[in-house]
Amino acid sequence: MNSIALTWKLARTGGRRGWQGQLLAAAAAAISVLILLLLLAVYLGAGTRGDHAAWRTPSPDPRGTAVQALSTTFVRGTPVTVVQLAQLPDRPATAPPPGLTDFSQPGEVYLSPALAALIRELPAGQLAGRFPRPASYHTIGRAGLASPDELIAVIGRTPADPAISSLPESDAGLGLTARAVVSGFARTAANPGSLFAFDQTGALMAVGLLVVPVLVLAAASGRLGAARREQRLAGLRLAGATPRQILAMTGAEAFAVGAAGAMAGAAAYGLLLPLVARVPYGVGAWYPGDLWVGPAYLIAMIVLIAGVIAVSAMSALRRVAMAPLGVARQADPQRTRTARLVVFLVAAGYIGVRASQGNLGIGGTLTLMLLCYGAYLTLGPWVVDRLGRIIGRFARRPAMLLAARRLSDDPRGAWRTVSGLVLAGFVAGFCSVAQLGAIGASYPGQVAVQVTPAEGGQTVEDLAAQARDRLRAAGLIATVQADPDDSLLWDSGIVAQITGGPAEIDTALTVLTGLVPGVAPYTQDLGNADITMTVRQLGQVGFAALLLGFLTAATSAGLTAAATVLDRRRTYRLLRLAGTPLALLNRARTWETAVPLVILAGGTTALGVFAATRLNSMVGTGQSTNAGRLAACVLVGAVAMFAAIGASRPLLRAVTADPVRADD
Amino acid sequence: MSEALAGYGLVKKYGSATALAGVDVAVRARESLAIMGPSGSGKSTLLHVLAGVIRPDEGRVMLGEERIDRLGENRLSALRRDRFGFVFQSGQLLPELPAEENVALPLMLSGSRRREAVIRARRWFGPLGLDGLERRRPGQLSGGQAQRVAIARALVVEPDVVFADEPTGALDQATGEEVIRLLTTVTGSLGAALVMVTHDAGVAAHCDRIVQVRDGLIAGRRQSAVAPTRNGAAS
Repeated sequence: MNSIALTWKLARTGGRRGWQGQLLAAAAAAISVLILLLLLAVYLGAGTRGDHAAWRTPSPDPRGTAVQALSTTFVRGTPVTVVQLAQLPDRPATAPPPGLTDFSQPGEVYLSPALAALIRELPAGQLAGRFPRPASYHTIGRAGLASPDELIAVIGRTPADPAISSLPESDAGLGLTARAVVSGFARTAANPGSLFAFDQTGALMAVGLLVVPVLVLAAASGRLGAARREQRLAGLRLAGATPRQILAMTGAEAFAVGAAGAMAGAAAYGLLLPLVARVPYGVGAWYPGDLWVGPAYLIAMIVLIAGVIAVSAMSALRRVAMAPLGVARQADPQRTRTARLVVFLVAAGYIGVRASQGNLGIGGTLTLMLLCYGAYLTLGPWVVDRLGRIIGRFARRPAMLLAARRLSDDPRGAWRTVSGLVLAGFVAGFCSVAQLGAIGASYPGQVAVQVTPAEGGQTVEDLAAQARDRLRAAGLIATVQADPDDSLLWDSGIVAQITGGPAEIDTALTVLTGLVPGVAPYTQDLGNADITMTVRQLGQVGFAALLLGFLTAATSAGLTAAATVLDRRRTYRLLRLAGTPLALLNRARTWETAVPLVILAGGTTALGVFAATRLNSMVGTGQSTNAGRLAACVLVGAVAMFAAIGASRPLLRAVTADPVRADD
Repeated sequence: MSEALAGYGLVKKYGSATALAGVDVAVRARESLAIMGPSGSGKSTLLHVLAGVIRPDEGRVMLGEERIDRLGENRLSALRRDRFGFVFQSGQLLPELPAEENVALPLMLSGSRRREAVIRARRWFGPLGLDGLERRRPGQLSGGQAQRVAIARALVVEPDVVFADEPTGALDQATGEEVIRLLTTVTGSLGAALVMVTHDAGVAAHCDRIVQVRDGLIAGRRQSAVAPTRNGAAS
């Protein structure tokens, strides 16, 4: 208790510079906690909203009381989930699904608010005509919705209605169509439906991409604080404080500063919640409540970050606290093992073999991507070390030589500074080139109606003729074929090739509804729905990771640069006193970050581009280098990084300005 | 012999505190001068004023025929780099640079090619008893070895004046003696003047002359009793 009181007193009397250092450390803690909480919120929120969506997939119960049928239609390319319900006669009444006031009676239609708005907005011939048209629609409440943007219709039917009875019981794993006898809707399904399949995986990817850079940022802020404190504590040690006491005081102070900053970050998370909830992910934006992580996680994150800062501050100070004269004696420089290269080569070989086999699927591709990251994280310090040695051998200018020697002196530290941007570079390279949207079957303009043999009576040709009449009546230009060779159809049926855009497609979908009772027409969107959603979420995760990655990487590079200046202020001051130009020291400091950044981040960006072009050619789509976006990303990243490093120039000037100051 | 470096009527005040109250001091080439005095006497300020680190409020500093106390910061910086050498108590070597590159650094800063700078730097390792330590890093050297590397770095530019600020402050007595003997003899053999601040009379005794500073004034001057023999040969 005593040492904590003393710590507080010292912190208060630390002077203006002391407070500036504390403020910087606290700001870094705030950013760390904010990002971690946002990641956690998306991960947990994806689970919560998956629970809200689970009721739509029927959970079979042979002794159930109602028939539930799930199907999916598309409007403007966006999926609309359609749930049809029929109470079985002579069975007990079924409780309504979440969000519905009553179990829907035959002819009743419940709409999600977003779908209701769209039905008002679009002509009836494009959307409303696909559903029964009661005098008024009911509204699905929040309890039954995963996102305010979700498009859902719940339609009441009789059990014998072909709209229900002719639906298949499943769609071979696609998860967009299903039918079963159910006893209720109260469930938190492990599988909330294929539109949500990637929700949590995507969130986990973002966590994987960002958690290391965020922890590095927190650690850097701890180091910065420690460098600030060093001087005062050196004095304390001379006054007789034991190293243990000093470490305890440092830990307490760093924890307090970190916790204060972390609380500010948590508050910022709370304030930003309504804004963040508007950012679409997967099926759409969020209900703010779903993104609230709750007090337990909030406190856990604050403690975690404050703890990381305290530990980092204490380990940074350990040298000073232990060495008798405050002279940091550096032992042999850390060597990185060639084993890192071996691990990387094995991983790369495995990735190469797997990738060349093709047919990886989304899961396999993701695993390989993660393996790529892991391999890079392993290899990074080794590459930095080699870079330092190679440049060190050939450097001519003193600034370059200093930078090179720094790199091979502490390759892990140098790697930590740039690792965030190196990962971000991979994501940027990949996302800006990959033509993932084009994966899957491509039958643009086709609308298909499946005809099963059970629909006896009419031939497929008859149906085609009827379809032509209906389409012509709707004013569409279309070619209708029965059982064409290469088409959307999985089985027998008709295919209409529509001329026009999304509005014409939606019109065709609407007029062909009911051509065969109970059979919904579909487009290529149906088969591609899960991939399209995954790809969209990959893009959203990639962009968010890129943005937040830049933020953390630049902040921690800046903090590390400042901490390094403070750590080495005595040497810098003496060098300047002996006539070394300040500009040279600044150049060396910039080089020591710029060299690994350009080579490693540039390398991973190129790797990302390469992986994306491979993927593009694997799925047979054209290559489109989104060069503008990539260049913008690289430029923003580089500018942010150098601005952050440049921010410590005044600090270097200040700590070396007064060369005659007594040793500290 | 003319004076290599001289200060006349040097006055320096920090606010109301007077660090130097009118000091005259001079040192000739090949000569070594120890500045002694208790803490706060102004001895370090005197060294920094002479070295062009601090501007005096009054008085002049002459390096040979050139007045240096009114030069601009860039010019002074270049002067300190090319014509002065510095040896401090500790912490002046860059920990990540091998010894020979630490020594070569001032030459590279002055525009020498790296290869040439390193070759010139290596020549100092033999005379300073550092043979075989060229590729060691400062962290792998003993305190005495590190100070000898620092001396090599101060001398490699063949300066006119070497300034030493408590160069033995972090060393035990025997090592300190050894380092100081090397510093005075090698500096002298180079033909440079040596100005050294110390509070250790034993260390000061190795210098040709000693001045005592007290309250910003020279309180005493004397020839050292045990001035070492200087061979006087310029390298």
